[in-house]
Amino acid sequence: MGVPTRSIVRAGLIGGVAAIFIALVGLYTKFATLELVGEQITLGRLMIVAPALVAAYAVTRPRIVAGERRVVSLRDGLIAGALTGLGTGIVFAAGTWFADLFGVDRIREVFISVTDELIAFLTFDKGIPGGLVILIVICIVGGVVGGFVRTAPEPIRKPAAVGVLAVLLFGLLQRIVPIALVELGYDADWLYRAGSGLTVLGGVVVFAVAAIADILWNRGGRRLKDRVRQTTETAPAARLGLFLVLVAILAILPLLLGSVISETLGQVMIYVLLGLGLNIVVGYAGLLDLGYVAFFAFGAYTTGLLTGAFLNTTTGAAQPALSADLNFYVAVWIVALLAAGLGLLIGAPVLRLRGDYLAIVTLGLGEIVSVITASKWAQPLIGGPQGMRGVTKAEIFGLNPQDNPQHFYYLALAFVLLAAFVSWRLSTSRIGRAWTAMREDEQVADATGISTTKFKLLAFAMGGAIGSLGGALFAVSIGSLTPASFEITVSITALAVVILGGLGSIPGVVVGALVLIGLPGLLREFEDYRPLIYGGALVAIMILRPQGLIPNVRRTRELAEEEVAQDAWAGGGPSGEGEAVAAVVPGGSLGGEREDLE
Amino acid sequence: MKNRKLLALFALLGALSLVAAACGSDDDGGGATSASGGGGASGAADCSDEFGCVEIAAGDPIQLASLLSITGDTASLGTDSNHGVELAIDYLDDAFDGTPGQLLGHDVTLQQEDDGCSAEGGQAGATALAANPDIVAVIGTSCSSAALGVADTILGDKGVLLFSPSNTNPGLTSEEAHQPFYARTAHNDKIQGAIVADFVFNKLKIDSAATINDESPYADGLAQAFRDNFEALGGTITDTEQVNSSDTDLGPVFTNIASTNPGVVYGPNFNPVCALSYSQGSDILAKGTVQIGSDGCLESSFLDTVGDPIADYDYYASSPDVTAYQGGDFYKNEYLPAYTDQFGKPTSVFNAHAYDATNVLFDAIESVAVDDGSGNLTISRTALRDAVFATSGYQGLTGTITCTPLGDCATDVTIGVFQYNNWPVEGGVDPTDPVFSETKTLADVI
Amino acid sequence: MATVTGQRAPGSQLGLLERLPWRKIILVVLSALILLVVVVGSYKTLTLPADERYTATTWKNFVTLGLAQGAIIALIALGYTLVYGILRMINFAHGEVFMFGAYTSFFFSDAWEQSGFLDSNPWLSMALLIVIAMIASMIVALLLERIAYRPLRNAPRLVPLITAIGASLFLSNTARGFFGAQSRGYGVPDVLSGSWTILGVEVNRIQLVVLITVIVAVVALSLFVSRTTTGKSMRAVAADSEIASLMGIKVDRVIVITFAIGGLLAGIAAVLFSITFESVSFSMGFRPGIAAFTAAVLGGIGSIYGAALGGVLLGLLQSVGPALVLTGYGIPSSFQLKDAFTFLVLVLVLIFRPGGLLGSGEAEKV
Repeated sequence: MGVPTRSIVRAGLIGGVAAIFIALVGLYTKFATLELVGEQITLGRLMIVAPALVAAYAVTRPRIVAGERRVVSLRDGLIAGALTGLGTGIVFAAGTWFADLFGVDRIREVFISVTDELIAFLTFDKGIPGGLVILIVICIVGGVVGGFVRTAPEPIRKPAAVGVLAVLLFGLLQRIVPIALVELGYDADWLYRAGSGLTVLGGVVVFAVAAIADILWNRGGRRLKDRVRQTTETAPAARLGLFLVLVAILAILPLLLGSVISETLGQVMIYVLLGLGLNIVVGYAGLLDLGYVAFFAFGAYTTGLLTGAFLNTTTGAAQPALSADLNFYVAVWIVALLAAGLGLLIGAPVLRLRGDYLAIVTLGLGEIVSVITASKWAQPLIGGPQGMRGVTKAEIFGLNPQDNPQHFYYLALAFVLLAAFVSWRLSTSRIGRAWTAMREDEQVADATGISTTKFKLLAFAMGGAIGSLGGALFAVSIGSLTPASFEITVSITALAVVILGGLGSIPGVVVGALVLIGLPGLLREFEDYRPLIYGGALVAIMILRPQGLIPNVRRTRELAEEEVAQDAWAGGGPSGEGEAVAAVVPGGSLGGEREDLE
Repeated sequence: MKNRKLLALFALLGALSLVAAACGSDDDGGGATSASGGGGASGAADCSDEFGCVEIAAGDPIQLASLLSITGDTASLGTDSNHGVELAIDYLDDAFDGTPGQLLGHDVTLQQEDDGCSAEGGQAGATALAANPDIVAVIGTSCSSAALGVADTILGDKGVLLFSPSNTNPGLTSEEAHQPFYARTAHNDKIQGAIVADFVFNKLKIDSAATINDESPYADGLAQAFRDNFEALGGTITDTEQVNSSDTDLGPVFTNIASTNPGVVYGPNFNPVCALSYSQGSDILAKGTVQIGSDGCLESSFLDTVGDPIADYDYYASSPDVTAYQGGDFYKNEYLPAYTDQFGKPTSVFNAHAYDATNVLFDAIESVAVDDGSGNLTISRTALRDAVFATSGYQGLTGTITCTPLGDCATDVTIGVFQYNNWPVEGGVDPTDPVFSETKTLADVI
Repeated sequence: MATVTGQRAPGSQLGLLERLPWRKIILVVLSALILLVVVVGSYKTLTLPADERYTATTWKNFVTLGLAQGAIIALIALGYTLVYGILRMINFAHGEVFMFGAYTSFFFSDAWEQSGFLDSNPWLSMALLIVIAMIASMIVALLLERIAYRPLRNAPRLVPLITAIGASLFLSNTARGFFGAQSRGYGVPDVLSGSWTILGVEVNRIQLVVLITVIVAVVALSLFVSRTTTGKSMRAVAADSEIASLMGIKVDRVIVITFAIGGLLAGIAAVLFSITFESVSFSMGFRPGIAAFTAAVLGGIGSIYGAALGGVLLGLLQSVGPALVLTGYGIPSSFQLKDAFTFLVLVLVLIFRPGGLLGSGEAEKV
């Protein structure tokens, strides 16, 4: 079946616009020289091909024709891909040509990334019009590849795609992998070029290994996974065994990966902890908390205060107004307890609020804490803008978490396992069931005698305690606390980790943290573009897969039903209860009064 | 049932933690160790101490690294410092010709890491560098928050020297906080605060001032230094204010400041707070109120935002006095042209500090590296550190460099105050000489 | 063991809170404390020794600054409240809609400032700048709706929220990539600098222009919503979209129009904001966005006059709040705490009126 022409044209247009967007935002100029494999395959060149490739991949998707799911044939796919590539290329080339025509200098007054170097790069140093032709040809090739990847026979396309992605990943990790290998005592010269990307040999090897691994997985791996799942579902002992195996793997990881990657993993673990805590509040209890940074900051600073950290001043150091010099392993439980109390304090006024009102109030409370950490008012206690220093190293059994990233990872892992255990037990317990009931219909839950007050407060308390543990770990890992680390971005990132991973899903939190913290941590070249990619990825994933990467089965079902409940809540549902008063007096509300909004 | 299990779990953890508390030590780390005097490069290097030595085989390069702000809003600062280091490497062959020279017969390479201008960034970058045993020393960091308690500790624990061209926070070289392997060629902000206080009190003859800082450690420290020294001179601080770096509405806070009638408002912040302070503040403050910023403000973006000087309202900014080094022939006739040639116009003044730091380092390496005769070098980390700290009377671009035991190597610091818009940056109007310039040492200031 | 009624094992304090009077008491005590802090603080500020006290002019300045900023926030808040009324969704990215309007108008303003057009035809330039900003903001708002929100029309609340946050990040950093990370100075026509004296009171010209523009906009919007057919369709969809579509109203079109109007209002706010604070930057939408969102909730989300009231109140809280309440206590750098202060008041309001000031009023649990 062929791909409709209209779709091809549209895909080509969108691809071209995307390419121009990438150019305007400065990605080409920044990464033109980042070598991935050998000297020729640079990230910039890859990004030239990418829009056409992705557009072609999208356009050749299986479509529903007359109720039937039809796959696009290879031949049609290649043709469609080529045409899409052509379309992309034409738009892209037109944009480049226009920039050159209009005058790069004039355009740069608005769009700062449009430089002569950019034009030269996009025309492969061949100038207009020769370079433009090359550009169009490259886009066509990209389109063909994209179409191929989608429509090629199954046994070929998946391993090929996996192989290419692996090469891309290893190419991007060119700063990290060689260090890790060297630390383990291996020679990395054959794999990576010094200070640069993969060698050609390295690229081929990575591709081959990844592709073969994928083939093996498709052949036997999946069966293995099913067998494992079967056994664990029937025999609890087997499940425990699997769990222990996983823990063992996690424990060996830092030794395998070296200190630099362990450092990133440690930061990931902190966010896993934050995610687990927030998961209780948002995922289990259904309370939208946008101010989680409050607990994080509280945990960090309280840990500092209780373990003898001191304030930075211009004259050196000063004692905080209140401080104690406890051992970390004693202090941390006090911190958690106090944070639970803070959770109760924060929860109390927001009990009766629903949905978005709860969100904005918790956001506000998070901002209050954020503001106070930097304030001169609290400076005698927590150091103000200059912050605190000298948080305990949390040494134990010869391990030094502050100085050794691998040791820190173990400490963090211990806390994560504890939090995960608590989380899991809560979710399967009576409390968890109460939360589920509250989440699905608060009024009914209340009617059956579940004290929503109590359970909401409990959620805040537990979430707060776990969040503060994350803060405590953070304080130990860095040893130095400045207000810049405690801003609203922490709350947003934690929320993104939970939702990306899948609400209510514990493995999801881990995956979410790995993706949102681990990847950027390893790919520091992208630091400038991290928020851009973050934001785009969040939007994309929410549109494509809102249930998250590892969805909680129950929640996915609920999500489908929730839309009905939400209509009722909003005052327009079948129950008709709390029906919005549509009376619109000038000055009245647009959305009507909602009795049930409280 | 579940409650009991949870309770038991907590009891177990409580017990465990008590055990942990008993077993674990409670060391906070920190506190300077006194260094024994470093020797020359005679005889064999002493590699028996905890920090050991760096071995460089013949034919291998001497690996330097930099940990500077090379991404984000402060990227111009870090990139500029990197260029200073690169020029120092270039000049190893006594010529700014774009081809790097050699030190003791070895090439010198520079691995550039990002300090992210934050504690997390400093930690990540320092960890990456500390993991590489071949790195001899690190030039960095750009931002004090990346160094204080973070990079200086991580690298210091491995004995890797961290030499900063632009950290100015006083805490870094304080008695309590100084790390033994940390030094800097940038000035201590106590000096900048004192010189500006002097400018206000003695030159402008104004005895009342208010300060306004953003929430960066840099601004807070510098404002505090100003206040301390201004009051010591006999001035009065009428108001102390703080804003967020992301604030755009400075109206209310300036209204408050205006109600206390200061003669000067000192705002040693970053842009855009500086620029907004000037443009919005002059709408509110009484006519003739002077505003003063610092090197964080002295940027072309300020000029772009504010435009022409505002009538009836003067603005000044303090900064290491570039013209003082421009007075030197070498800087004016060789260094600066070489920089502009290779990298374009400097985006900051601290490249000169980076150049000096690298050269001090080179001298130290030369004096302590032991050659076994066939080109293999051994450098004791402790000896290298001692040699750097023993530097005295070294004539650098930025002045005379004599390192104190606490790591301040810029002991004679010349700070200039430049009137807007005669600023020595892109877009500044000539003449770009300072209206006030003073040299102070650490002993002179509070 | 816990029973159905939720009684816990003895020794737990939480059981006490269940009993309604206790919870009310705690909340009343909390509110009383906050009120006490406010009143005592105000008293202390007003009774400071004469040389430390604020003068009447200073108070006037605080108030007008607060009103002006509040008015601008009100315009942005209207965008939030409109979209919320129709879609029950917080458009987190609305701040970026605002920012793009400002930035787009900046390029024209900059060019006109250099050519002198800005000063020779100030009112014309202002009008044109506002139109340009309105168009730019509207386009961004429509793109947002089409690309990021429409596919999620039926998704549960959290999903569009995260999408909106993602879109906000994406858009602000797009502007950063396009235009650079530095903030740019926004020109103020000469005729607008300085002040006019009205009824013996000196008022900043810009502030007056802002206030008048916002009042006009709010009234116009209110009339639009209540009198025109489109406005009625909007109200209908806000009340119940299913029934509205059954009645023949094209829901999609109404939603698009709502976003467009929100964008238009943001565009007006953009120019006013840029002129008042004399700068634009890629991140300028974030804080005003949160402030506007807070204002909308404070006033009662879904209500037009609520958003306006909330905006003005918020502006006053941020400006007069620290001055009035915190100065008395001698808190150092009290203006840095303005956000904290504002949110505390919000919490206070929502404790007593969970629907916001002009919202649904008392909302008891059924």
